[in-house]
Amino acid sequence: MAQTRSATRLNSDGRDARIGSGARIRGRIQGDGDLTIEGTVEGEIAVRGALVIAEGASVTSDVEAQEVTIAGALEGNVNASGQVRVAVGARVHGDLRGKSVAIDEGAEYAGRLDCEFDLPPELEGGGRRR
Amino acid sequence: MASTVIGAGITIDGEITADEDVVVHGTIRGKLTAKDAVTIEQGAVVEADVTGGAMVVAGAVTGNITSSDRVDLQSGAKVVGNVKASRITIADGAQFKGNVDMDV
Repeated sequence: MAQTRSATRLNSDGRDARIGSGARIRGRIQGDGDLTIEGTVEGEIAVRGALVIAEGASVTSDVEAQEVTIAGALEGNVNASGQVRVAVGARVHGDLRGKSVAIDEGAEYAGRLDCEFDLPPELEGGGRRR
Repeated sequence: MASTVIGAGITIDGEITADEDVVVHGTIRGKLTAKDAVTIEQGAVVEADVTGGAMVVAGAVTGNITSSDRVDLQSGAKVVGNVKASRITIADGAQFKGNVDMDV
């Protein structure tokens, strides 16, 4: 079985949130801080922080976060301002958008990748202006 | 350690069902159903009916509380709603408006 290193990270200072494996949420989750999901979420997720969809989790929702790590099942689009990582064992159906996207070997993925980065100048059509 | 923690910065609009402990530091609007203990920490805002096992409330709850075990309203708690449980404590400094049903 694959280990998800980041899924075990949990500070109990009240800032971090964790949806345990026996929990199910239908609705919208939003706010500041990191969020780890081990259970089931249907709805919408928007957090300013790192989002971890751990192994065994099932998420049917569009996802917005700074950083997203997926090791469970996700059906929905991902919009991250930072890195998106699809880890081994993940099953993802949806579009991924992030500053950088990594898909590990062993991950199942179907969707579109939209990665924001600057093209090197020689590839920018038309060359330099001004 | 609790299995589900709703952090202080997190807001959930919707329905939460859990087979395990739930600790709330943040905001919940909707409905919260747990099979086990529910802890609503100081600073938490819960606008929802809450059902669960043993319950400790130190934050604000607007909604009905139903427990299969006991409910402890701690100092600083603010509860507007009905409480149904076989055992209830209301600490000095807890604010409470509603009915108590102790299943007698």
